Amino acid sequence: MTGLTVRAERSAPLDRTRARRKAAWRRRRLVLLLMTPWLIGFSVFFGYPLVMSVYLSFTHYDLLSSPKWIGTANYRYLFTQDPQVGAAVRNTLWIIAVMVPLQVVFACGVALMLARARRGVGLFRTIFYLPALAPPVAATLAFVYILNPATGPVNILLQHLGINGPLWFQSTSWSKPSLVLLGLWGVGNTMIIFLAAILDVPRHLYESAELDGAGPLQRLRWVTLPTISPVILFSVVIGVIAGLQYFTQAYVAANVASGQASQAGDQTVNNLGYPEDSTLFYPVLLYQHGFRYFNMGYASAMSVMLLVVAFTITLLIIRNSRRWVHYVGAAK
Amino acid sequence: MRRVGIGLLVALVLGAALLAATARTSATAGTSGAKAENITIWVGWSAAELKAFKGVVAEYDNKHADVTVKVVGGINDDKITAAIRSGKVPDVVSSFTSANVGSYCNSGAWIDLKPFLAKDKIDVNMFPKTSQYYTQYKGKRCALPLLADVYGFYYNKKMFKAAGLTSPPKTMSQLTAYAKKLTKKNSDGSIKVAGYNPFLGFYSGNAPDLTTYAPLFGAKYVDGSGKSVLSRDPAWSKILKWQKSLIDWYGYKNLQKFNAGAADEFSASHAFEIGKLAMMIDGEWRVAFIAREHPGLDYGTAPAPVDDAHPELYGAGYVNGTIIGIPKGVKHKDQAWALVKYLTTDSHALAIFSNGVRNVPTTKASLTSPDIKPDAHFKTFLKIFANPNSKTSPITAAGNAYGSLIQAFAVKWQAGHAGDLAKGLQKLDKQIDAQLKQAQAGGVP
Amino acid sequence: MTTASVPVAAALARRKPPASVRRRRFLLAVANHSLLIVAGIAFLAPFVFIALTALMTNGQALSSHLWPNPFRWQNFVDVFHQAPVLRWALNTMIYACLATLGVLVSSIPVAYALSRIRWRGRNVAFGLVLIALMLPPVVSVVPLYVMWAKLGLVGGLGPLIIPNWFGDAFSIFLLRQFFMTIPEEYLDAARVDGCGELRILATVVLRLAKPAIAAVALFSFLYTFNDFFLPLLYTRENPSRWVLQIGLSEFRSLHQVQWNLTMAATLLVMAPVIIVFFLAQKAFVEGVTLTGVKG
Repeated sequence: MTGLTVRAERSAPLDRTRARRKAAWRRRRLVLLLMTPWLIGFSVFFGYPLVMSVYLSFTHYDLLSSPKWIGTANYRYLFTQDPQVGAAVRNTLWIIAVMVPLQVVFACGVALMLARARRGVGLFRTIFYLPALAPPVAATLAFVYILNPATGPVNILLQHLGINGPLWFQSTSWSKPSLVLLGLWGVGNTMIIFLAAILDVPRHLYESAELDGAGPLQRLRWVTLPTISPVILFSVVIGVIAGLQYFTQAYVAANVASGQASQAGDQTVNNLGYPEDSTLFYPVLLYQHGFRYFNMGYASAMSVMLLVVAFTITLLIIRNSRRWVHYVGAAK
Repeated sequence: MRRVGIGLLVALVLGAALLAATARTSATAGTSGAKAENITIWVGWSAAELKAFKGVVAEYDNKHADVTVKVVGGINDDKITAAIRSGKVPDVVSSFTSANVGSYCNSGAWIDLKPFLAKDKIDVNMFPKTSQYYTQYKGKRCALPLLADVYGFYYNKKMFKAAGLTSPPKTMSQLTAYAKKLTKKNSDGSIKVAGYNPFLGFYSGNAPDLTTYAPLFGAKYVDGSGKSVLSRDPAWSKILKWQKSLIDWYGYKNLQKFNAGAADEFSASHAFEIGKLAMMIDGEWRVAFIAREHPGLDYGTAPAPVDDAHPELYGAGYVNGTIIGIPKGVKHKDQAWALVKYLTTDSHALAIFSNGVRNVPTTKASLTSPDIKPDAHFKTFLKIFANPNSKTSPITAAGNAYGSLIQAFAVKWQAGHAGDLAKGLQKLDKQIDAQLKQAQAGGVP
Repeated sequence: MTTASVPVAAALARRKPPASVRRRRFLLAVANHSLLIVAGIAFLAPFVFIALTALMTNGQALSSHLWPNPFRWQNFVDVFHQAPVLRWALNTMIYACLATLGVLVSSIPVAYALSRIRWRGRNVAFGLVLIALMLPPVVSVVPLYVMWAKLGLVGGLGPLIIPNWFGDAFSIFLLRQFFMTIPEEYLDAARVDGCGELRILATVVLRLAKPAIAAVALFSFLYTFNDFFLPLLYTRENPSRWVLQIGLSEFRSLHQVQWNLTMAATLLVMAPVIIVFFLAQKAFVEGVTLTGVKG
């Protein structure tokens, strides 16, 4: 494919139109070529599942026989009869309402401290970032062991200090906070982003604030935070989306903490959400219904509801953000 | 441009080739070879028990030159269900959860074996009655029993002697008294040695713990019309109240700490085997584990203690077993059936396998086979298995899903989070009925 | 609180602040550093515990000892004997490398088309990319599983790798944002030289966008290396196709919860990523910054 070819001067305007149209054709062909993989991907891996999910949500389908239309029965069960849905929804909302703000505040706080530090910044940055690199499965396994109420290092250390440590992953009231601790351990990614944004705040803003008599706290409140508010918004949105999909850590923690070795080959008791559904999140319940019980129709109904909620929440956050997010012009 | 184009092409071709290679090597179903057919069997056993099973299969392999059997261990029901759904099935499957036979038969996931039994003129009465019960559902026989499990009582004789106890407890009140006597605590209040651990979810063996107690109290699951009677049969409240009172005596948190610090159930550091637990109800396979890992342990076996109000039930226990069948979509049905038939009906095979894993042989002939190695501890379990009051879980179309419902409630109850027991059981009955109804109708969960 | 009485900011900066201010600043710095040290210890502690446990015997791991005695380096070798870790690693590399390659090959052209070529419907397409970005993958899981099951590909790595060859919303987004910052002059110069659009993409743009492409490759690799959910769905019943994360989660049940070995295995699984980080630190941090600041 070459560039424009130069034609001999015959009828200039007509040639120009023809040339332009030819160029436009070539451009369209090029765009088509470049976009084709994504076009296929979008329809097959995004559009098709969406449509199919809606369809399957009105059927009973166990993959052994063809889908059987049952109308809104799945939704009725979801909203009124499923004994675990209430816990799943509450837990997911809890993790979003608690973990996301804590993570953002913690990441921002650590970044602020790093920004102020003079010595050893590189070392600290590495230390804080390293846990974020740990694969979620590995990190969860490690935390369940470390927080073992009887033999884990944390409770042993607490014992030496005379404190009776909580039961962490074995307790219904401490299992989610234990997951939050795990989440806080891995804020490295968010912290780095905050650090970059904080260091990017134009110095003259601080100087003029100082001239106006602002102390460090006031400078933080009126200069730093507003300037990095786009990053805060970004972290919040990412955090909420991640919270709505929270699966891996909950699944691994419940399996490990419940101590059931599947070595016996048997899993008569479903230990997802151990203990007592306290770590049962919506995606985990979806997985249970779809891929343990193979009620694919019901799982589809669950996923349709999740999609609706995810969109609504994200839209609400973004719309609300217009009130407090300032986009500083001429940033890098 | 050309360089990039060629580079892309090469990458794509490489990728496609690797993909094809991965797809092909992932097939676990038997591919028909030219001479020897390969068939695959999935079982739940692993480690030493798997070795014993492989020994039995090796004998079969030697006798049948036209077939090579591949054994895959460590399988659980999730994997079986998933494999059947995804279309990549092994030729023979076996499961520890006999309670699931209802859903396997009802959904057609495991095929009906009646035509094969008829063709080979096998009479199902060669299997014990209970084993017949948990391998079929509503007339469809989609499984056969492959060694059974029965639950009995293990007690540490050395600790008994030290506490001045001479014989194992026969009633629940005796069990409670002995448990309190044999328990030793640390200076900080945590449990050093537990007399008896009543915690549901601790070392549950192969069955939801609550069902282990059902035959000991004479508790019924359903009434004549098939409705769940957990709230109406007083035995269930009795079980739950007794269990919770013992838990409260230990302290719920203390027990949780004890459980968290206990080694894995199938490891050589099992709490009973290393002397951290004085008495327990466990399956008959434990005899083999102890013989292998702690042959010097001074212990005894007996039937489990029963409800004080029902002394006539003494000698009974909970029974279930391993079931084996052929999943839907298998190509080499005849070879699969031949293997199933051998494993389940050949007295010699059953006997030597039983010796290896110390599970109960499941044909009347193999129970009396000369190949069985006698063992005083194991004899107790054979007796419990033969007791007419020994029961298994009801087989329903929901498989073991309702068992999970019961367990989930019981776990909440023992933590003190279930409120009023009577009301809770009534709600549980309703949930079970709803689930059974929907499983039968093929409707929603 | 001293109010500035000097009119020029520069002069303010040049003059040494009074002793009280200096002392306060020093104390604040000390406090800041102390907090950082405490936080640093808290962040490092889990790694230390894992490492210590990985060197214990099984009995010690289950007891209240915190320090291994003796140091059992043998554990790391035992892990390989007890589980097919190398096979898991191979599967993980197949998945991660092929997926990353696919992401790059399919996303770069799309990002280019969305940023440097004007065409009707471009904004609509970009909007669709954004919407796809916000979709929780959990939502599309059921029909996709059905589709792969019907195609007979469940149990292998196909369902994991193939979708990455058809564009990845996040990578497209990131690359597009970066491509938009490339000055048009470079592209025009190439056009004048007679280069076609594809050639421009392959030579000029790729070279200029190296940091963004490196970031995308790095993230893709990390994401697929750490992926647990998709391999759980598609390969759980096929142990010969397990990736490291699945193997690790099943490790404790394969071998009766030997915590010392499990922690050793955990360390081994964490190691590659950390090593790559130390080798490519700059690219890492730049990449993370890119996502946050350009996002």
